[in-house]
Amino acid sequence: MTKKYSRRSVLRTGLATSGAALLTALPAGRLLAQEPEKPSEIIVRAWGGEWVESLKNGVSDRFTEMTGIAVRHDLTEDNEIQPKVWAAVAQGRVPPIHINWDTTTNATKSALRGVTEDIADLPNLANTTDLAKPVGLEGFPLVNTYGYVYVLAYRPEAFPDGPPASWRDLLDPKFKGRIALYNDGIGFHFPAQVAGGGSLEDIPENMEACWDFVREMKAQNPLLGEDPDFTTWFQNGEIDAACTISTNALAAKKNGVELAWTVPEEGCKFDTDCLWIPKGLPENELYWAKQYINLALSQESQQIWLDGLGLPGVVPGLTPPEGLAGDPSYPTEPVDFENLIRVSSAVQVQHESDWFAKFKEIMQG
Amino acid sequence: MPVTPSKDAPSTDFRYPLRWRVMDALNFMLDKFWPARMSPYTGWALIMPALLLVGLLVLGLFKMADSSLHTLDRSTFMQSEAYTLENYQTVMDSATYARVALRSVYAAGLTVFFTLLLALPYAYIMVRTTSSLVRKALLVILFLPFFIGQVVRAYGLLIILGTTGVANNALGLVGIEPIRLLFNFPAVVFGLVQYMLPFAVLMLAPALTAIPRETETAASSLGANWVQSFRHVVLPMAKPGLIGAGLVVGTLALTDFAMPAMLGGGSQDFIANAIYDQFFRTADQGLGAALALLLVVLGSLFVGVVIAIFGAGTLGMGAKK
Repeated sequence: MTKKYSRRSVLRTGLATSGAALLTALPAGRLLAQEPEKPSEIIVRAWGGEWVESLKNGVSDRFTEMTGIAVRHDLTEDNEIQPKVWAAVAQGRVPPIHINWDTTTNATKSALRGVTEDIADLPNLANTTDLAKPVGLEGFPLVNTYGYVYVLAYRPEAFPDGPPASWRDLLDPKFKGRIALYNDGIGFHFPAQVAGGGSLEDIPENMEACWDFVREMKAQNPLLGEDPDFTTWFQNGEIDAACTISTNALAAKKNGVELAWTVPEEGCKFDTDCLWIPKGLPENELYWAKQYINLALSQESQQIWLDGLGLPGVVPGLTPPEGLAGDPSYPTEPVDFENLIRVSSAVQVQHESDWFAKFKEIMQG
Repeated sequence: MPVTPSKDAPSTDFRYPLRWRVMDALNFMLDKFWPARMSPYTGWALIMPALLLVGLLVLGLFKMADSSLHTLDRSTFMQSEAYTLENYQTVMDSATYARVALRSVYAAGLTVFFTLLLALPYAYIMVRTTSSLVRKALLVILFLPFFIGQVVRAYGLLIILGTTGVANNALGLVGIEPIRLLFNFPAVVFGLVQYMLPFAVLMLAPALTAIPRETETAASSLGANWVQSFRHVVLPMAKPGLIGAGLVVGTLALTDFAMPAMLGGGSQDFIANAIYDQFFRTADQGLGAALALLLVVLGSLFVGVVIAIFGAGTLGMGAKK
């Protein structure tokens, strides 16, 4: 029996094989010749410090090794790259980055605005868990790459009776001026809703309980900052506790700061970060950007990348980093999620500005 | 009979020096490019690049004004098509923005006061000292931090004034427990004064240099002591410098972003921080633009009030001789 192959089907097979080659970590020399022209580099926006180091080790270096394409990490803050990308797409210019490593909430804004490429054709998506799929969006305008918990990080020395069991423990007068929160309150709104006596079901319609608790916390004169601030403040002994992403606490601990973290009884916010590609890239660069994300979803890359971050990935069978198995900041089983609060990106995107404004109103008083 | 040329007669092979000829050629070229009849417009031609630059700023302001009249549609994260004053209404209704604006104005006022208080004696001693070594030392001390960016200087203050910093270590030597010197309003004003001091000194120095030393000597010879001489002679004559320095320091402090962000501990935002939040954190460009225009209005009011009180003449613009 003979079978006819069209030029298009041969090309499609070639591209799929190239993708599969990346997935299976074949060296560059074994990739097929039908690949689109390789750019000299691709630019990936990333967070600095431990974050970019982990990405470099787990994905970027491996990508360069496999393809010969250099990866440049653009450390522009995610919030600051956003308007630049939006403006570039709106004006028909080539966007300043090939891939954005972003929070899912911010990325959802970009998806709603229609500036993201659909990446549903990535072969490695087939091997991902439900966590990878964006909620409330058509297709895959972005792909979640791991989850993280906004834990309550603390200095054990400041809590001699054991870890704080409740967020309300931070209201002890001895912690006045020695607590840190994100300066827009991100990560804190949902546990505050519970700690203030409210219900998660009331989010977003009635969050008065949250604001009541934030007002109580304001009386404690908390410091408000961003990820790098928390690490510095812990290192300099300025604070005893902070609501922060577990990765930052882990990084501070690796740098010699005596630090631990916990999930208090009211729970902690669970969220995801993602990767997405802006529209407007030349075809060949779009192809290689997709291959980068495909590699980031491979088991090997996820294992190395997320070992560095100390976070659970979206591929089954990953081994928890040393010391994090069973840790509340590393949820993998359904039971691990019982005390974690997850609110859909769609709700967060719609209401986040109002929550930030309300938090600022209280804290700037 | 042929006339023999006198030995004093000019030689026929005389040539002007090369430099003259080059200048003549340049003048000729210039005359072709910019004929003498255009000379009334020479001033405008010279000012045109600066005008274009300012024009770009004004264009940006118009663009921002247009943006401020559109609200953010959170279902598409695009600006609405319709024109509305809703963003301005949001700003006016918000107690947060009122507090932030008042804090910015108050901090700018305090910064101007303390900066001039410190800059005046510094500039005076720098100008009047007879020792060139002292003058050079004061200049070096002034310029060294001037060459370091604002963020780095703020970070330096974080290290010096932190709980485990040099200042608290020094206090510890006399038995004082570490105290929180950072992350409050006074820390922000301190940072601003520290940052603005070189600007103020550099603006005051020429004004003080312009005061003849003999005027002070004359005041002394008429019986004024040093304080009276300083108060009745130096201060009034240094007024243009004081006003100019005050305006520069005041407008820079009013629009500052880094000091409140780094030394304020997140709870001492100025208007610039609120603008940043809207543009970059919540992606609400319309509200951010409305706040930015509010800042422009506040800054213009500040400059307008100063000029109304002290007159443009104090800045050397049309002063009575």
